[in-house]
Order: sequence, then C-alpha cells, then structure tokens
Amino acid sequence: MLHAHNLHKSFHNGGEKIQVLRDISIDIEQGEFLSIVGRSGSGKTTLLNVLSTLVQPDDGQLYYQKSDLASASADQLNMLRQNDFAVIFQFHHLLPYLTVMQNTLLPFMRSFVPVSGKIVDRAEKCLERLGLTDKKDRLPGELSGGEQQRVAIARALVKSARILFADEPTGSLDQKTGEEIIQLLEELHNDGLTVVMVTHEPLYARRAGRTLEMAGGEIVS
Amino acid sequence: MNIFTIPFSNIRKKKTKTTLLVLVFSLGIMSIVALHQVSLVVGDSLEEKLSTYGANIIISPRSEKLRVSYGGFNMGEMLYDMNKLGEDETVTSIMSIGHSDRISVVAPKLVSNVVIGDVAVAVVGVRWLNELGIKSHWALTGTLPEQGDQLVMGARAAAALGVGVGDEVSFLDNRFEVAGVLAQTGGDDDQAVFMDLSTLQGLLGKADEVSFIEVAALCSGCPIDDIVAQIRTNLPDADVKALQNIVYQRMESINFVQQLALSISIVILVTAAAMIGLSMLSAVNERKKDIGILRSLGYAKFHVFTIFCLEAALIGLAAGVCGYLAGYGASFKALDILQFSDNFQPVFSAGQLIGSALLFACVALFAALYPAWKGAVTEPSQALVSI
Repeated sequence: MLHAHNLHKSFHNGGEKIQVLRDISIDIEQGEFLSIVGRSGSGKTTLLNVLSTLVQPDDGQLYYQKSDLASASADQLNMLRQNDFAVIFQFHHLLPYLTVMQNTLLPFMRSFVPVSGKIVDRAEKCLERLGLTDKKDRLPGELSGGEQQRVAIARALVKSARILFADEPTGSLDQKTGEEIIQLLEELHNDGLTVVMVTHEPLYARRAGRTLEMAGGEIVS
Repeated sequence: MNIFTIPFSNIRKKKTKTTLLVLVFSLGIMSIVALHQVSLVVGDSLEEKLSTYGANIIISPRSEKLRVSYGGFNMGEMLYDMNKLGEDETVTSIMSIGHSDRISVVAPKLVSNVVIGDVAVAVVGVRWLNELGIKSHWALTGTLPEQGDQLVMGARAAAALGVGVGDEVSFLDNRFEVAGVLAQTGGDDDQAVFMDLSTLQGLLGKADEVSFIEVAALCSGCPIDDIVAQIRTNLPDADVKALQNIVYQRMESINFVQQLALSISIVILVTAAAMIGLSMLSAVNERKKDIGILRSLGYAKFHVFTIFCLEAALIGLAAGVCGYLAGYGASFKALDILQFSDNFQPVFSAGQLIGSALLFACVALFAALYPAWKGAVTEPSQALVSI
C-alpha cells in the first residue's frame, strides 16, 4: 500500500547538518497495524511525517498504491492528505476556536460551499461511536485530553481515511485514557483501517501487528 | 459550515484582541469620515461666503453683432436682433435647473444711462437683498434705500456730482434722495447710481425687463460647466457665460481644504492599514500550529491564504461600519467646535455607509495580503516545528 525506499532526510541547525533519516526502507500493507518505537531523537516522528507527506525527504522514493509521491504535484499531495491520509498528533491539535463538530468537519470546510448534510450525518455517527455526541457543541478547551484525542480520531474517521498516522497518540494522556485510545485504534484497525503509530511505550507498541525500532535515524530491528 | 466559519469563529473567540483591532481601525476610519464630512461642509460654507464677493455666471440677452465700416473708416460694432430678458421668467428658469441647490444668489439688473446736471452716469436698478448677497464687500456711508425714491451713489459718481448723503438729485423727471454713498470699490460700482429695480423699470417703461442677471453658484458639488449647461437648456434665447477666473479662484480655495483633508486621510488610512498588516503578521506567526493542522488535513496554500484574507476583511468590514457611524457623529462635534454648523450639516447616506464598509474591508484585505501569503507559503514541515 505504502512503500518507502532508501529515504534520507537531514535538517540544518545553524551551520550544522543533522542527518535524521538514513536509508530507510519500509513496506506498509493494507490493513496493517504498524508501530515505530525508538528513543527520543531517533527519527521516528520525522519518518512518520515523511510517510504522511507532511515533510519531503531529501532522497529516496515513496510510493502510495504504486504512485510515485516524489513526482506528485502539491495539489495531488493535498488531495491525498484530504482523502486517504489522516494524522493525529501527541497534543491532539484541534483548532481551539472551533467546536467539536466543526473540528470533526474541518477537512470538508475548505470551500465557500457549506458542508453537505450527508457528511454532517456521518460526523454525527463518528462522534456517537467515540462517545462524544453530547459534547459536539463544546470547544476543545472544555474537553479532557482523552476526549480531545478522540475528536482528532473522529476527524480521521469522518473522512474515511485509508491510513491513520498516529504520532505518540497516548503521549500526553494518563495510563487509563491512553489505554482507551489504544483500544480505539485496535478497533479501527479491526474494521480495516491501516494504522502507523509512533510510540515510546513498549506495551502499546506490542499491541500492533508489527513493530519497527529506530535508532540514529535507521531502522535497527 | 464552510471556510468562512474558520476566520469568523477565530474572531469571535478572540474577543478582546478583535475588539482592540476593530477599535483602532475604527478610530482611523472615524477620523477619515469626519474629515471628509467636515471638509465638505467647510467647502460649502466657504464657497457660500466667497460667493458673496461676486457672481460667477452672467446671463444677458442674446444679440447679434455687425462690424460696420465704410471706405476704410471703422464705425465699430452694431447690435441687432437683440432679445429681451424678462425678469420673472428668467429667474424662474434659473431656479428650476437640476442643480438649483447649487444656486446661491440670483441678482437681476437693469442698466441705463442718465444725465444728472451735466454729468452722464450709469443708473442700475437692483433687488437690494439679492444684490447684497453678492456685494458683501460694499461699505456704505448712510443707509440702504427703504423707498423707491431713494438711491445709493458710487463713490466717484457722488464726487463728480458733488452730492452726499441726504442730498437730492433729479433725473428721468423725478427727484431722488441720496440714502447712501459707497466707499470706493475700485470697480464699475464707483461710477454708478443704484436704485430699486421696479422703480427704474417703471420710469423707463420696461416693466419686468432686465439688462442682465448675475448668478452666484456653488461649484464644489458639481462643475460650473454643468450648471451653465443646465441654465442654457432652460434659457435657449439668452447668453449664459461662466466667469471662469472667478470660478477657478474659488475652486482653488475649496480644493485646498478638501485636498488637505484628503492628504491627512491618506496618512491615517496608511497607518491604520499598516497596523492591520502588522497584526495579521503577528497572527500568522502565532497560528503556525493552525496552519500545520490545516495543511495536514489537505488544505492548499490558497485555502490558508483565503482564511487569513477573510479574517482581515471581516475586521475591515466591522471597522468600516463602526468608523463611518462614529465619524458621522464626530463631524457634528467638529463643526460645532469650528463654528461651521449654522447653514450646512453633514449628510448621512446608507450608500456611503455600505461603500465605506466595503472600501475598508478591501483596505484591510490589501493590508493582509503579505501576511496571508506568508502564512500560505509556510510548508507543513515548518508549521509542524511549532506542533
């Protein structure tokens, strides 16, 4: 489904070049639940960002359903992020001035044409599934950390994404809420969603079907 | 819910910041609107005052001229086919033009030559109230005539006849008392004798007839050529001439006031627009996280650009409405302080209100172009650094 070959990525800090990814190759199959673990600074978040097209690699190839993403236009990448890819971050990242419902519908609010009733109905169902129906008119600041992460997941669900990239989805949550989120990701995976999760929690990583360990910008196991 | 929801919700959530921004921009707009209103009123008022120093349009009977010469001897020009100018009909026609609101004074005159003693002088029949409307510079010894058998002498005419206030003179088989003598004006008025128009018309057997009519028109609201054209349409048998030099001198004074107001307005507008631009630039830097989220959801650069532009336009729109209303109110106070509030008042216009709101929305939008562009070109990777 998503194939990366010989990815390289470096950043410049002042005059110093820092190599973050070195010759990374991964094949992610449809319906897979993959976890990426590693110490802080090992390059796992950068890898997730490269795979989700948020960051361009310096070198290497990235194919999604046999399409070369390196030669894709900005519009094509935007469409991919809008329809097929969904990203959730450690700190949930909802727009603080939009309600839960508006944040859930954010991927569909790009034009002056109002979001269709059909999509609003779908958002209602997603929020119901995640237990957020009674909170749909609240602002993110009025929700707990776990609830905010569930809104971010609802946003991914409502657009029927094919791959969910999760960057430390339990990182800012307590153990109980973290466990709930992992269970939710497992459920979504069981429904057929491909999940790529970066985590530093070995317990959560083991819940995935496959685990890659990174160190120094390389996959070590 | 659509793209408009994003900037609108952000503005609504950040009430204090938005209110301050709208307030600052409104103050700028208020100053501009107030200056504009004040300059219009001051312009009108100034022009009305200037119009009392002379007419700027002359209406006279149409006539044809024929140059007469014979055997190399030039005998000058002869007037023939001369139309008569009826006072009532002409004045009514002047006052019924489309720009009649710009007509300040209409002063009809009948001029004739008379001999008093052995001195030939011009006698001019006038409507005193109208005449004083364009001759506010007249300085008089004695009083204005209160009866038909009283008159006012020009300074040189009085000197030539050796008469003063209270003396009597005879012409056209009637005796007249000199009620007043003009101080020297340096113009034609010095050599003339002024009397009531109806009395002179009766003495000359020219009831309702006038030699010419002087009109003082206010030209700041419309070009003098338009007024002249409209009078010509109503009076096809008369000669209508604009005294361009007088018009231009007056317009220069009025334009100076309005250009001064315009210059100050532009400075205020640029300052207010710069503040909006700076504020939007700061908003873009503060909201890199938002940009990152939007880009991760597939929002293109154009969408991010649109969101920031809409936000600025909304602020401009709100400030445009508030600023116009505040400026309209402030113009009354300013005119009161300037003591210009007697005859002219600022005019409220719903069209101007809507126009002002749209104009300042565009100004705010223009000011936000660079910050919005800067936000739009932020790559997701850069925006993600702040996440």
